[in-house]
Amino acid sequence: MNITEFQETLFRQGQEYGYTDMEIYYSGSRAISTAIRKGEVDTYRIAETNGLSFRGTIGGKLGYAFTEKIAADSIPFLLEEAEGNAAVLELEDEADLFAGSVEYPQLQTYSAALMQTDPERLIQAAQQVERLVLEKDNRITMVRQSAASVREHELLIANTKGLHCHQQDSIGSVSVYLLAGEEQETVSGGWFDYSLTDFSDIRLEEIAVRAVDETVSKLGASSVPSDNYPVILREDAASNLLQTHASVFSAENVEKGFSSLVGKLGQRIAGSNITLIDDPLMPGVPGASIFDAEGVAARRNELIREGTMMTFLHNRKTASKAGLETTGNASKGGYKGKIGVSYHNLYLAPGTRSLDELIASTERGILITELQGLHAGTNPTSGNFSLACLGYLIENGKISRPVNQITVSGNFYDLLSEVEELGNDLRFTGSCTSPSLKVRSLSISGA
Amino acid sequence: MLQPALVEKILNAALESGGDFAEVFVEDRTDRDLGMLGGVVERALSGRDYGVGIRILQGVFSVYAYTSDLQEEHLIDTARKAARALKGSSGDLVLNFDKVQFEDRHPILQRPSASQNARKIELMRQAHEALKTSHPLIEQTSVGILNWEQNVLIANSDGLWAEDTRTYTRMRMSAIAVDGTQRQSGFRGPGAYAGLELLEQMDIQAEAREAGRIAGTMVQAGYAPSGQFPVVIENGFGGVLFHEACGHGLESTAVGIGASVFAGKLGQQIASPLVTAVDDGTIPNAWGSLNIDDEGMPTQRNVLIENGILKGYLIDKVGSRRMNMPPTGSGRRQSYKFAPASRMNNTFICEGSSTREEMIANTEYGIYAKSLGGGSVNTATSDFNFAINEAYIIRNGQIAEPVKGATLIGKGLEALQHIDMVGNNLDHGQGMCGSVSGSLPVNCGQPTLRVSKMTIGGRKGGVSR
Repeated sequence: MNITEFQETLFRQGQEYGYTDMEIYYSGSRAISTAIRKGEVDTYRIAETNGLSFRGTIGGKLGYAFTEKIAADSIPFLLEEAEGNAAVLELEDEADLFAGSVEYPQLQTYSAALMQTDPERLIQAAQQVERLVLEKDNRITMVRQSAASVREHELLIANTKGLHCHQQDSIGSVSVYLLAGEEQETVSGGWFDYSLTDFSDIRLEEIAVRAVDETVSKLGASSVPSDNYPVILREDAASNLLQTHASVFSAENVEKGFSSLVGKLGQRIAGSNITLIDDPLMPGVPGASIFDAEGVAARRNELIREGTMMTFLHNRKTASKAGLETTGNASKGGYKGKIGVSYHNLYLAPGTRSLDELIASTERGILITELQGLHAGTNPTSGNFSLACLGYLIENGKISRPVNQITVSGNFYDLLSEVEELGNDLRFTGSCTSPSLKVRSLSISGA
Repeated sequence: MLQPALVEKILNAALESGGDFAEVFVEDRTDRDLGMLGGVVERALSGRDYGVGIRILQGVFSVYAYTSDLQEEHLIDTARKAARALKGSSGDLVLNFDKVQFEDRHPILQRPSASQNARKIELMRQAHEALKTSHPLIEQTSVGILNWEQNVLIANSDGLWAEDTRTYTRMRMSAIAVDGTQRQSGFRGPGAYAGLELLEQMDIQAEAREAGRIAGTMVQAGYAPSGQFPVVIENGFGGVLFHEACGHGLESTAVGIGASVFAGKLGQQIASPLVTAVDDGTIPNAWGSLNIDDEGMPTQRNVLIENGILKGYLIDKVGSRRMNMPPTGSGRRQSYKFAPASRMNNTFICEGSSTREEMIANTEYGIYAKSLGGGSVNTATSDFNFAINEAYIIRNGQIAEPVKGATLIGKGLEALQHIDMVGNNLDHGQGMCGSVSGSLPVNCGQPTLRVSKMTIGGRKGGVSR
């Protein structure tokens, strides 16, 4: 049974069952990936998976259920489960599906060529990166994994009110992760690159060079005395920190008390150098999207403009509660989730100087390149974070040595006002991106 | 679940091009998820995962394919596609499946069903009420009950045929306390390999009050100091110390390729002689237990460290081939979407003879880490970190003021050597462990113990003693 037949049968049987409005959210993906070790294929994976979330109005309430089995015998299951789930809900204001936006943006997010990449090419690319890495430095003790993959994903949202939104996206990537050693010391590091259009655009040599540099430059690291230091968060570390806290910009979290930004709309919450944008319509980035999880046309929103909180992210429900228009940020954590609120392609507007220039302008400080344990050492509600990290000591405007066994602590909300300068080095590798951030002072715990 | 004749066809197709071992993992899982925010039921989700994972081995080279399309031709075709990743010729396989017999060590009294919704909501309301009244500064509450039943079939070309049903229940309770501009959350999440009876037998209100107490205490706490101190880590989920500092480093996924600091150290003293550590997948109804692992092997009690000496690793099938050692019943995966890997079940440090009071009294200045959060580790370097959700200063042998949560960091080999007191009050806590084969329920356990020196990532310099 294909998805169109499934949808028709489900809606027909659902109507007979007593549902008024009904919607499906269907997600399907295919991927091929391979990992190389010591020149040989170590693992080879073929993945294909489908999942469908059903929601429908019954008894005045909106019930949800999901299945991975797109077959006729799943239909009674979905109808019964969603009815049972609707019955226990105590929220009265959710029973509303969306008929569709007047207009949807045009955006290229899919390349059929990626999935047609010959699997042998993936193997060769991963082998080549492993070989390039091993040639570069004799302190490399092991390429733990050199991997290549292509994947594509399809999303369909359709309902009985006439909504029909379909989008495909695809990505190819190559990554390498290695160990280097000297005497008793072992360090690890890696790098990756991706393409949204053509596997051959992936820069293998650059991956190898960066991966080796990222790794061997950590050799000889030690701690620093505990103190407050000026800190530069490199773009990748800064992006991870932003991503971990980005849920605080959701109107849902603000309303429920999970964000300290409650009551801050229209107020100054950050330095005048901070502008935070969600731009799903940016071409050629992984977070691009033409509609949200309710089928609302995606649009660009400025959340923070020069330090002032301009808008939170909304879906139709949070917007209607606040008496506003949705910002097109309904989200669903895959087909198993419930409609929530999230960003598409969130980023901090960059500054003008490069990371090297930021370093050169720092008398003494710490450059942080990697934050660890973000899932545990952060608390978005309070904004407090305390994280193990890796990086380098900066002395007299130059990197003097690698640093490890330290933590960095601070508060995300305070940090927004304490950014001295933003770098010009935005690199869109996911859905949340920051340039390097130079921060006046953060607490570093070490020896 | 699939019939033996079809499974045999899939395995034969999988071995068409030179594989020496093939395995089919079939999963049919039903999830139920209820959530209450501020006393209002706002989340009710349920659904079904259904799919097949096919694995082929040729030596230590592995091919894995999975699909949620269970039509016969499609499954055989998927196996064939996977086999094409190998180069070799077909062996003729005649299978005579031998069903793995085991005694179910984990009785389930009340299997999950939609009909339990009303009762679950009653229990959630009890938790909400207790959270709300637990501390005057509580402003928001959130309660959830998650349960799922996973039916698995594992069959392989060695003739193994194993089936099991696994049932899990977990209740999540959290409170948010607000004091001026400060907001802090407190959390409890007891869970077990059990049905609804877990919650019927549990003192829900006591758990909820504990979550509220943590939020209320921490919202008024000052910042933790930074630097190196002795740390007394409370029992139960404090076992996350061992889980991160050592446990992951003993998994064959890392050890088998030499990417662990613990590789090649069997028989050596790697920890303080006070440390004996075990991973036990057989504990009845424990959150991390299984009758059989996800490769079809019965779980067992694995002694990892005895009196500080490294005794064993956690080994899956591929690890067993790489290391030339027997598997330990530790092959686990989140779902059919993952190839199995060596993972922990219920890991804990065994009891010693000290008491918590002695440890505190013998610490002139240090940190008492009462409630722990999650962490992570790099197994190649053994650099680990984990979060403290609730901490206090120990001053002159007494527990003094609370300090806001901070991260503890260290190197596995050093931290294990620095354990200088081990308590007599073993307990276990529940967590979800994320790694190569997905997110899995695990217990972390330990008695209260003291580490003589660890780096704590606080925000207050210049410690006042």
